[in-house]
Amino acid sequence: MTRARRDPRSERAAAARPGLTRPRFELFARESGRRPRRNPRSETLAQQVEGPSRLRLDRAQTGRAAAALAPERAEPAAAPAPTTIVVEAPAFLVAVVPDLAGGRLSLHDRQLFDAARTLAGADGGVIALVGTEGAEFGPAGADRTARVAAPEGYDPDARAAAIAAAMAALDLRHVIFPETPDGGDLARRVAVLAGEPLFADVEMVAAATLMRPARGRRVEQRAAPARLITLAADAVAPYAGAPREARDEPLDTFAAPASAILSAERIPADPARTPLGLADFVVSAGAGVTDFDAFRATAAALGGTPGASRVLCDAGLMPREAQVGASGTVLSATCYLALGIAGAPQHLQGIAGCDHVVAVNTDLHAAMVERAGLAIVQDAQAVMPALIAELAREREASA
Amino acid sequence: MTYALPALVFVMVALATVQTLRRAAWWRLGAAAPVAWGAGLLALPKRYLVDVHHVVARDAYASRMHAVVAGGLLAATLLAALAALPPLGGSRIYWAAVALAFGVTAAGAVLVGARRYPKRPKRLSGGGFQILPVLLLAYAFGGLAAALLLAFGVASAPALVAAVALAAGGGLGLAYEVRSGPMRHAVAGALHLIAHPRPRRFDGGAPDAALVALDLDAPRLGVETPADLAWNRLLSFDACIQCGRCESACPAFAAGQPLNPKRLIQDLVAAATADERAYAGSPYPNARDVAAPTEPLFRVIGEGARIHPDTLWSCTTCRACVEECPMMIEHVDAIVSLRRHQTLELGAVPAKAAATLDNLRAAEELGGRPLAARVDFAAGAPLPVIGEREVDVLLWLGEGAYDLRYGRTLRALVKLLNMAKVDFAVLGAEERDTGDLARRLGDEATYQTLARANVATLARHRFKRIVTSDPHALHALRNEYRAFGATYEVVHHTAFLLELVEQGRLAPGALGGASVTYHDPCYLGRYNGETEAPRKLLDRLGLDRVEMARHGRRSMCCGGGGGAPVSDIPGDARIPDLRMAQAAETGAGIVAVACPTCTAMLEGVTGRTAEVKDIAELLLASVEAGR
Amino acid sequence: MKVVVLLSAGRHPVSGLGALPRLEAQAIRLGAALGPMRGLHAGPDAEAVAEALGRGLSEIDHVALGAGADPVPALAAALRAAAPDVVLAGRRGQGGDETGLVPYALARALGATLIPDVIAARPGSEPGVIEVEQALPKGAARRLVVRSPVVLTVHSAAPEPRPYAFGQVRRGRIEPLAVSAPEEPAAVAIAEKPYRARPKMMRGAPAGGSAADRLKAATGGGEAVQADVMVSPEPREAARAILAYLRQVGVLPPPARAG
Repeated sequence: MTRARRDPRSERAAAARPGLTRPRFELFARESGRRPRRNPRSETLAQQVEGPSRLRLDRAQTGRAAAALAPERAEPAAAPAPTTIVVEAPAFLVAVVPDLAGGRLSLHDRQLFDAARTLAGADGGVIALVGTEGAEFGPAGADRTARVAAPEGYDPDARAAAIAAAMAALDLRHVIFPETPDGGDLARRVAVLAGEPLFADVEMVAAATLMRPARGRRVEQRAAPARLITLAADAVAPYAGAPREARDEPLDTFAAPASAILSAERIPADPARTPLGLADFVVSAGAGVTDFDAFRATAAALGGTPGASRVLCDAGLMPREAQVGASGTVLSATCYLALGIAGAPQHLQGIAGCDHVVAVNTDLHAAMVERAGLAIVQDAQAVMPALIAELAREREASA
Repeated sequence: MTYALPALVFVMVALATVQTLRRAAWWRLGAAAPVAWGAGLLALPKRYLVDVHHVVARDAYASRMHAVVAGGLLAATLLAALAALPPLGGSRIYWAAVALAFGVTAAGAVLVGARRYPKRPKRLSGGGFQILPVLLLAYAFGGLAAALLLAFGVASAPALVAAVALAAGGGLGLAYEVRSGPMRHAVAGALHLIAHPRPRRFDGGAPDAALVALDLDAPRLGVETPADLAWNRLLSFDACIQCGRCESACPAFAAGQPLNPKRLIQDLVAAATADERAYAGSPYPNARDVAAPTEPLFRVIGEGARIHPDTLWSCTTCRACVEECPMMIEHVDAIVSLRRHQTLELGAVPAKAAATLDNLRAAEELGGRPLAARVDFAAGAPLPVIGEREVDVLLWLGEGAYDLRYGRTLRALVKLLNMAKVDFAVLGAEERDTGDLARRLGDEATYQTLARANVATLARHRFKRIVTSDPHALHALRNEYRAFGATYEVVHHTAFLLELVEQGRLAPGALGGASVTYHDPCYLGRYNGETEAPRKLLDRLGLDRVEMARHGRRSMCCGGGGGAPVSDIPGDARIPDLRMAQAAETGAGIVAVACPTCTAMLEGVTGRTAEVKDIAELLLASVEAGR
Repeated sequence: MKVVVLLSAGRHPVSGLGALPRLEAQAIRLGAALGPMRGLHAGPDAEAVAEALGRGLSEIDHVALGAGADPVPALAAALRAAAPDVVLAGRRGQGGDETGLVPYALARALGATLIPDVIAARPGSEPGVIEVEQALPKGAARRLVVRSPVVLTVHSAAPEPRPYAFGQVRRGRIEPLAVSAPEEPAAVAIAEKPYRARPKMMRGAPAGGSAADRLKAATGGGEAVQADVMVSPEPREAARAILAYLRQVGVLPPPARAG
């Protein structure tokens, strides 16, 4: 893990107080992103009691001292708006190829920019090779952006060829990809196409060395940064410096070679048939559910994968594959809607990986209610038809 | 006319012999097996009168019925045959004795009939078995009438002819039934007792329950068709009288999983016999669809064969059926040999079980966890790891050490050992899984690899004996590792703790008032005959001990053995739920356990009213209360 | 359709004992449905891939190669000679450098199309064409029709591997295969030391936040603290709250706009 390197000069420049004859700096404002630093001097100043000639302090007046600090804490924007950093003529370019899943930078994508910044150092520039327009690349840490035409449909080889062409045209020193299914695939295609070495699944980034695990994570390999790099998730923090200009870098369009992929058709996940372990949204029934037709209809209407507690599966009311919990399936869903589940410890183990939990249960003190982000203390049997009705009403309203 | 009855007997014996020989041709299909004929023959009376009747006597009615009808039948037939000797044939006293014997047989036949008519109990098979009382009655009353006529010297030829004809009808029927009818059990049963594949089980002492090691270089591994079974195993299946005691003891049957030991044995018989009579007992619960009965000597297991794989994987290998079988049939051996073929040759293992076996092979541990993490349960408590020095006790932790709940038990055990100043140590990261689970799932190759590795590890260290809280590990180390030339003194923790208490090294105080019921682990009770030490220990704790209806060697399984939790065959209920319901019937507030698997299975019962506690935990609480 | 499965000398992630990578076992299962199949391994020890024989492969070709040598030239030569329609591989070979480059390099050498993350494959409607299904995140999939030859890397959501059968290992054959390929040592010797786990960046923790903030983010306590509990609401009100929450976390699409 490396922190973004500090550039004291630019920090000082950013903290300069404008409009004064001699240079003066608001040095505490610099800390705005962090926990406010105590300034004993200004605290003492705030505690001074007005009046008599000799100095008197009111130590109980922490409120005023806090008030003196408060503006810093409450509105970091009080510091001068961070100026966009401009790198006019970078000595070299380090490219970032974010996945842009759904057209947005993911957390992993943002981390790439920080790694690229480390490799670019003070002289280099970071360029984002992207398929679309986007305003977010500058704040994310890109000095330049270049359009690499995204091929129609699914043609990863064409995309790789476009990136390889950009690599040659812009004389990129490094290209960093995320080690994700898409990014990793693209990186390897580019590597074999350009005949460049790939340093894959990097877990530590420093200006002069990269580290990656190998041989079943038994050893770590260290080497000077290769031309192509894939970065593991959560190895570095996202870029947190001042925004950059993300200036458009013109790039020649590239003619894609013919593909052997004759057709590609996306099959959306069918929540009813997605294996529980892969599902993104699970709607689960427990002993509080007695009407299973209504339950299945609710799950279908919400687009969730149906699950169940062990009691129901043992009783044969729900199929065994639907069982959630330590002895059933352990979930990795984003959201878990628990209908009438109290939350036995084994069941909670099964949903430990879920980001959000909604509980509908008659017992206010149930463990599931405690675990939930939204808890409804109500009979699940009553809530299910209400959910279906509400969705139907919304559809009618929009029709 | 005095020769009519002996003549009938000779014809009957001849017919029975012919029928037996016809059947013997079928037994000879099986693989060769070493049999100590002489010793078996000498031991037959003891095996029959002591071992068989010990089991039969658990059902008092059946026991009396069988003693009367079998004793009478044998006596009457032998006596009637003796009439061929001239001085006897003319003696009216002799005929009175014959009449008495036939009279006893008749009484027995009535008892047999009364059990099956008007309504037969569910566990008994119908079909061909329903004519047994008719044949017995005909033979007994015919013989009785004829003997009485001769005893009273009534020289009425037509009456005598009628009586002998009745006897002949019944008698020849019985003799004919020796090949494939109910009387097969008598002949096959006697031969089976002589040529039993596990003669050691009649020696008294600990039960002989260790599985037979498999030769991994054999051309075919495990049992695919009945012909792969040893001939005396085929013979043992013929001994089955279809009394259904196994099915009423079977936990999988009770839970509605598709296993019925009786049906399984009969399916194995039918799988090898072209003209076997249709089975007329209770079916497999929730029987899975299988193809129509195939030709004999075809593979037995499969969705297109006679027995569905789910049947095979429902077994918990608890040996309750073996314990209850009056004919000493070894069901579990048959099931494991069938599983061996499925696992080793076909790789047809239930999915979750396959993942577990992969872990055992690649990580030497069934959860794929690091071996060094086995001692993590101690959480900083002193837990010496074995070194160069010889220790008194090697503590074998077993798979339970990885379980959060069971860690509590092991911590209690370690604390007690420290309190009693026992010189003990654990193997630490050198301890591998014993391979018990792999073996029960039929993966003999993985089992043997693990067993060899463990034996080699144990050979490197010096210790006086092994103490373990896991009866599965105990059984493997004590009984099954012998096949690798390793003999250890292995003690279960309950026996060891009792020893410490008896030596005064631990002083339990009274845990006033609470009532406790003890659940016998199969691998301790049935597999190793240890049922007393845990009870004695519990009695020292000042607890009010009550027994469940099924306890000791006749206890019911928790559902955790034989890989059943990983095969996970659905049924109507879960075995541990049934067992906890039985425990609840006693009204006890604590269910005492002595096995990590039982702990996990019984703890997993939702909505249970009783607490599940290992005996070590109870002892620790009592020792701490006594201070 | 001729199929070759690439096998690597994998190791169990925890114990370090030799084990066939799960993805390759799944690849064997996928390949079995496509046509006659052989395994191919390049490495110093043929026994390292014997496990594959117990997973449904009956024959494996083994190209002897020194430890640490680059397997790509040898594999490419062997594949050129065999000329399969389909080459199956795990996403990354195990036991070596694990860069995951080998399938890509082979696809390039063979002029084949590489499709990653495959969960199903079957012969297409016309000869020379294969239909594959590719896993996408969150249970979605993509159905592709591709002209052979193809190199497919397998995704973990592909059908479960066939259970291991010891008896089949005894019956299977591993045959040595001689190929004429220049044996080169790995390009750059890379410094290696034992792996040391490093702290990962915490997801959701505010940048530059305090230790308390990071702890809160790590334990998921953040949500429970601000948990919204509605006691006995009207079912309709409850339904609205649930729908709003589901939309907020992004698992339910917003209501369709009028029109």
